[in-house]
Amino acid sequence: MTPAPTPRFRISRHRRLAWLGSALACGLSLLGLALCWLNPAIHAPLRPGLDFTGGTQVQVERDCAPCTAITAAEIRQGLSGLNLPSSEGDRAPNLGSASVQVLDSGRSLLLRLPALEAEQSSALVDDLASKFGPLLKSGTSVNTIGPTLGSRLLRGSLISLLVSFVGISVYISFSYSGIFAVLALLCLAHDVLITCGLFAWLGLLQGIEVDSLFAVSLITIAGYSVNDTVVVYDRIREQRRTLGDLSLVDQVDVAVDATLTRSLYTSFTTLLPLVALIFFGGSTLFWFAVALTVGIAVGSWSSIGVAPTLLPVLSKR
Amino acid sequence: MGRQQGWFALILALTIASGALLANYGLQLGLDLRGGSQLTLQVMPAGAITRVDTEQLEAVKDVLERRINGLGVAESTLQAVGSDQLVLQLPGEQDPSQAARVLGSTALLEFRAQKPGTEEEMRGLLALKRQAESVLRAKRPPSPSDDPTSPPPPETPSLSPQDLSKALSSLGIQVPAGSTEVDQIELLLRETNRRILGLYGPPLITGKDLTSAGRQQQATGTGWEVTLGFNREGGEKFASLTQSIAGTGRVLGIVLDGRSISEASVGEQFKVAGITGGSASITGNFSAEEARDLEVQLRGGSLPLPVKIVEVRTVGPSLGAENIRSSLVAGLSGLVLVAVFMAVVYRLPGIVAVVALSLYALFNLAIYALIPVTLTLPGIAGFILSVGIAVDANVLIFERIKEELRGGNTLIRSIDMGFSLAFSSIFDGHATGLISCAALFFLGTGLVKGFAVTLAIGLLLSLFTALTCTRTLLRLLMSYPALRRPTYFLPARQLPPAKSGAAQAGLA
Repeated sequence: MTPAPTPRFRISRHRRLAWLGSALACGLSLLGLALCWLNPAIHAPLRPGLDFTGGTQVQVERDCAPCTAITAAEIRQGLSGLNLPSSEGDRAPNLGSASVQVLDSGRSLLLRLPALEAEQSSALVDDLASKFGPLLKSGTSVNTIGPTLGSRLLRGSLISLLVSFVGISVYISFSYSGIFAVLALLCLAHDVLITCGLFAWLGLLQGIEVDSLFAVSLITIAGYSVNDTVVVYDRIREQRRTLGDLSLVDQVDVAVDATLTRSLYTSFTTLLPLVALIFFGGSTLFWFAVALTVGIAVGSWSSIGVAPTLLPVLSKR
Repeated sequence: MGRQQGWFALILALTIASGALLANYGLQLGLDLRGGSQLTLQVMPAGAITRVDTEQLEAVKDVLERRINGLGVAESTLQAVGSDQLVLQLPGEQDPSQAARVLGSTALLEFRAQKPGTEEEMRGLLALKRQAESVLRAKRPPSPSDDPTSPPPPETPSLSPQDLSKALSSLGIQVPAGSTEVDQIELLLRETNRRILGLYGPPLITGKDLTSAGRQQQATGTGWEVTLGFNREGGEKFASLTQSIAGTGRVLGIVLDGRSISEASVGEQFKVAGITGGSASITGNFSAEEARDLEVQLRGGSLPLPVKIVEVRTVGPSLGAENIRSSLVAGLSGLVLVAVFMAVVYRLPGIVAVVALSLYALFNLAIYALIPVTLTLPGIAGFILSVGIAVDANVLIFERIKEELRGGNTLIRSIDMGFSLAFSSIFDGHATGLISCAALFFLGTGLVKGFAVTLAIGLLLSLFTALTCTRTLLRLLMSYPALRRPTYFLPARQLPPAKSGAAQAGLA
């Protein structure tokens, strides 16, 4: 079938370079996560967004063209005089701790506050409308998330991820071998770690927060990473049958070479819609698309450069 | 050849069915795409119940459903999530505050009689309460939902700082340092309410004794009142309750969720039989909105367990519309680029793959309409990933076909080998994907679930389209000798020179 097992590209010749690159990226990611954790303002490996911390986020769009300039300080000043209705037994939260962002040169306002009740947030929007309005009714979005919900979401995602890892490892152990399963999970951890590391740095330097969509993107990356790796594995398994007399290193080289075009084409075609989303998609999906793009690029890299090259090393022991 | 035609007929039938399905049913868009409000309610254990079970969750859901129907929001859905949460979706609703008010409170209505011998204390407390309430109402900025035509209160009530501190200390309230006047008045109200409740006897009639609730404008004054109709037993109890306090100066307290909302005295003339007729009204000086809320709550009945609103999400329709439009444009332009890429790199089979993948997208959407799957942003992410994996399946097959052709195999044999050799890797990739989907679906929360559903549908369909649609179409095309040319599959220079000359003698 494949008469000439002489790969044009031998991944084993570059494996030290590949390992160095991956180790460096992982190290930088860990550093970012650690710095994030040590940062007193964040105190978590990633800067958690509203979905995880709980609270209320109010976004309003002003109905004006052109809009008069407005500063965050003015808005904070305007809010400080507001008395929110409070239900019995609770005191209305203090609006002084609100964080205010002015976006699109004064057109949209983004406020982050402690969790408000529905009545309080509608009073707040009414107050904003009277002071900085008129507001576009259709551009208003209010999200309130209780603090327990965020941790529940996180726990649910983590548990389901762990269970799916176990399921995948069992499947790979049966249809390939235990070492393949270990390496697939290692690769997956590598891809997820680097994506998290990038967002830790973004959180440190740019104040980018991770939300529940980020959790979804990590799950997507994990799924993609395994799919990508399995295809290379499948080729190695096939080479073992037909080219059993070659050394494992050579078998891996042949398999990687044979699947290289496919790996690159597949990543390229998956990345096309994602890159389109980054450039032309709505602002809500921007960071989601960035996370997926990075994760899939890294995933493709690890399935070529990391999982196959580690296989002979681990198999020897 | 007959088998190919059978498959082709099936694919054609599925295509027509999918088109018809989509035309008739359309897609359901999630709130993040179409705008609206979503409330998550947590059912709290109370009293003897320490853990909420499904039965109690259902009981709470029944009551909430009745209340939501009372609100009259179109297309609202209420779903149980997990063991103790309910998610209410109100499409198109921009101001969920009314729904939050109406759903959030237990609405436990009680009628209680004042204990004998407490007349003096009650009078003082009620006077203080009325004063505090009116001051508070005057201090609050009028909310825009209030009826603007209703005239302002006739006299601006006032409570001088001295009076306020005297009242506070007479009730033994410690005023926390730095509290505003409004805070202090609220403290005062809370304490008077607590003390008023202490002067009442046990609840004699509850919301369970009601058969109907309504509202009407008060005959005197500007407020609204809520009217109640009792069942037979409730009517009798109400008569005996009113009879017992008629003419004594003691009051009948109407308590809602531990707050005394109305205190009524019963006139001398009811001494003989009490108030009969099985109906009553609560004149608590309600605004039109408050009266409507209470009416809806009383009609729906009280909640067996208290609920707490833990999440409110509102998305404006323009944000939703912008999301869906730009994401659609971006996604489609990306897919067009993928199609161009496939056609350029894989030539004839690439074009076949584009047709097969278009059918794939159509089948996906048809299944979304059929199940139905509500499309949300994470759902679209799942779809994108499944498209990636579906394209990958085609790439795997075509790369294998190319390899076989380079190795000197004939065209038809290369195609067959390509499909059979690629199968194991395609199958493994899809199987691992489906394993994750199962875990995410059964253990994940709402967002993650939406992702898992679209990904699983996409993976199952991708197995079908890559192995059936692409194959059938490709084989069908190969039945035309004019198309049976290896150069339609890969550049001539990649073909082995000796064989390409012999096998392709007819080539120009």
